[in-house]
Amino acid sequence: MFRPTSARVAIAVFGAAACMATLAAQQSVPPPLVTAQDLLSGLPSDGSRWLMFGGGYTNQRHSPLTQITPENVNRLVPQWVFQTDTAGRFETTPLLRDNVLYVTGPLNVAWAIDARTGRQIWQYKRELPPTGSLTACCGLVNRGFGVLGDRLFMTTLDAHLLSLNMKTGAVVWDTTLEDYSKGYASTIAPLVVKDKVIVGVAGGEYGIRGFIDAYDAKTGDRAWRFYTIPGPGEPGNDTWTGDSWQRGGAGVWVTGAYDPELNLLYYGIGNPGPDYHSESRTGDNLYSDSLVALDADTGRPRWHYQFTPHDLHDWDATEVPILADLTIAGQPRKVVMFANRNGFFYTLDRTNGKLIVGKPYVVTTWAKEIGTDGRPVILPGYVPDEKGSLTCPDPTGATNFWPASYDPAQHLFFVNAREVCATFYAWKQEYVPGERYTGGAGQRTNSPDNRAWGALRAIDPTTGERKWEFPYISPSTSGVLTTASGLAFTGDAEGNFLAIDSHTGKLLWHFQMGSALHGTSPITYMLDGRQQILVPSGTTLTAWGLSDIARVPSTR
Amino acid sequence: MRWIYFVLIVVVVAAANLIAQDVYLKIPADPPTKNPLEGDADAITAGMGAYRVRCADCHGMDARGIRGPDITQVWARGRTDAALFRSIRNGVPNTEMPAHPAPRTSDLDIWRILAYVKTISPATGTAPGSGNAASGEHVFATTCIACHRIGDRGGNLGPDLSRIGAARARAAMARQIRGTMGSFKTGYEPVTLTTPNGQEIRGVKKNEDLFSVQVMDTRERIQGYLREDMRSVSDEKKSAMPVFGPDTLSDAELDDLLSYLESLQGTTAAPSGAR
Ligand code: HEC
Ligand code: HEC
Repeated sequence: MFRPTSARVAIAVFGAAACMATLAAQQSVPPPLVTAQDLLSGLPSDGSRWLMFGGGYTNQRHSPLTQITPENVNRLVPQWVFQTDTAGRFETTPLLRDNVLYVTGPLNVAWAIDARTGRQIWQYKRELPPTGSLTACCGLVNRGFGVLGDRLFMTTLDAHLLSLNMKTGAVVWDTTLEDYSKGYASTIAPLVVKDKVIVGVAGGEYGIRGFIDAYDAKTGDRAWRFYTIPGPGEPGNDTWTGDSWQRGGAGVWVTGAYDPELNLLYYGIGNPGPDYHSESRTGDNLYSDSLVALDADTGRPRWHYQFTPHDLHDWDATEVPILADLTIAGQPRKVVMFANRNGFFYTLDRTNGKLIVGKPYVVTTWAKEIGTDGRPVILPGYVPDEKGSLTCPDPTGATNFWPASYDPAQHLFFVNAREVCATFYAWKQEYVPGERYTGGAGQRTNSPDNRAWGALRAIDPTTGERKWEFPYISPSTSGVLTTASGLAFTGDAEGNFLAIDSHTGKLLWHFQMGSALHGTSPITYMLDGRQQILVPSGTTLTAWGLSDIARVPSTR
Repeated sequence: MRWIYFVLIVVVVAAANLIAQDVYLKIPADPPTKNPLEGDADAITAGMGAYRVRCADCHGMDARGIRGPDITQVWARGRTDAALFRSIRNGVPNTEMPAHPAPRTSDLDIWRILAYVKTISPATGTAPGSGNAASGEHVFATTCIACHRIGDRGGNLGPDLSRIGAARARAAMARQIRGTMGSFKTGYEPVTLTTPNGQEIRGVKKNEDLFSVQVMDTRERIQGYLREDMRSVSDEKKSAMPVFGPDTLSDAELDDLLSYLESLQGTTAAPSGAR
């Protein structure tokens, strides 16, 4: 639909004149695009923004929007498709502010994109060291921006933290987290809390010593560092033998949650290294495979809960912690919910880290149950050796970093779960800086009588019971987005984008995207009066909406 | 117009130069012809770990082959250290054998792995099956060719076997033929579709998702079907390849057949010898 050229010119001229008039009138600095207050208020009911990884600090990934419903979802049509032109696939959660999308992609390329048309506004591309020298274990990916004021924050594969100008994509500051050649990398979406940017480092397979850092959003100066493995003299250092703590891994690569009232950050910590070899690091190996609660101002630990003490199966606790206020046994409880890679679903008291619920949500063969003391009751065959031992779940785990979602109206937790077992092997391995340090491997089982499969499961966090499941033919690695209208949006491993009734688990609508939604979920927002569902899959972003609802262009 | 040709020539020459330079830069210094770490105790220990992490999934903990071939036999078959080094570094194109590029995998890493594999390899090859390859070829031409291609001949329901001798261990091939494999090759899972009027479509599954399935049927028709258009889509428990038990294929015939299969190394693009 082209307007006559003359009209377009007229509009352009008029637009420029109007703009100059306002410029002249204002002269003052425009208000920042994103305030700390905006971040605190989470996903607004007008759908005008999506400003952080999990939607809001609770990480619920649950939108209050209701224009798209179980009744009309089958009328969704694509609005546009954006293609990256870069190798590698999206694992990102895009952000939206003022009708512009801010998106990170593979290989540390990032874009500002017009949400109305899918057209690029700017592109940022980092000069990275030769890809062969980068150590990110599982893909040269990135999980999204953080934002505050007029600045975006992005971590890099060579373990830096960048601040970009939201309007131009220009680098404002560039801080080194650690030396990437020693096995450090960063893929996590930063969490912005007050005036600080919180990030972590990956490298659990490379003998790093993990940490969570906070940086001053204005200057990029480091405010605090929390080592995920305590040093000598600190409580917990004695849970590692000898000097194994120095290269014990415990990376941090999935964005945590934040409770502003308690002023606590909640982060899941990665696996101990070497992943599979027990004798290299006897002891509980704190804070590997734990959830830690840190004071947001100082980074000091308030409490920790270790899901898998002395892990030997690569079960990073790198899933997304979700906060909610529940009534359990008649008592109001502030909780943090966690579907763990080790096969158990946990509901913890987030004020003190005490276990409320700990129940398997997939087949688990390594622990009988979680005892009342909060520790797993280990079954025989837990320690892998050179001969190999069959254990469920497999190294990828019952779920993983792909975000779950929580619907506070239904009190239901939605997670893409995997039913996969593996034979685990372990052997002694010498440590060489910057090289893979796993001391073993897991060989996945997928035979006719031990088939690998998966399902979207709805779990009641007050009991750990399953309300419903939607089975897939193979395990999905997609995140979940839910909406207040009773929809769950997710994807399967075969590339289908799915809309499911979140009350019943019934499939309502699907579309073959050509590539799976991997490690992330769609986001949703309002644009000119129409609710949009934005789907990152493979190398594309696709915006969906209901075409039979009239556009009401915002004329601000 | 002549200046255009001039410009073109300049561009072409410049491009040729660039390409030449590129090629020059990419050719690595020839690896030593002999493994410099052979017999080195530390290298062997390190190589064992690296082997188990990166190679055992396909070649087996004992290197006798699972999805990949038995690689304890490569020296006995006359492969040199240098040639093996290159296979590991560059992979084997168009097969599942992946490349292991620098700097993630250093030269020393490769030598360490080879030093380890050498320690678990017999000095002389396991006696090459006593079978007679020529007789085996005859069995193949009567029993197997309808489903398998070798070079430019044969059917398509089963995998191309033109280089199966390089790709699979003898024992794995024997399991496949005797019907004791226990799992299906991806893209060849047996499936039966039943149409609403009760007609059956049997074949192997090329792809599937929650809503559809793509198959090659026993008459080699490739086609996609919506599950909702079918009365049923069922995965079969038995391979689309028939079981050749001792009653239909004696141990001696199997031996011949395996020797023939082992000789299929895919060296000639379109072997005509079978004609
Ligand atoms: C994903 C499966 C897979 C992995 C992983 C793998 N291989 Fe292979 N490898 C194969 C297959 C299949 C072949 C046969 C290729 C062909 O058809 O020629 C092969 C062939 C080989 C050969 C024979 C090549 C020749 O030149 O004779 C060697 C040696 C070998 N692999 C060593 C290794 C080593 C060492 C590793 C680990 C660093 C490794 N492979 C990892 C599947 C694999
Ligand atoms: C009716 C068709 C059919 C016939 C006849 C047949 N095959 Fe197969 N073959 C298949 C199919 C299909 C597969 C893959 C099966 C699977 O994974 O279950 C296969 C797999 C194989 C494989 C493994 C290939 C690989 O890449 O791993 C070998 C070796 C093989 N066949 C050899 C033979 C021999 C030898 C004969 C004759 C004695 C034979 N086949 C007869 C259909 C056939």
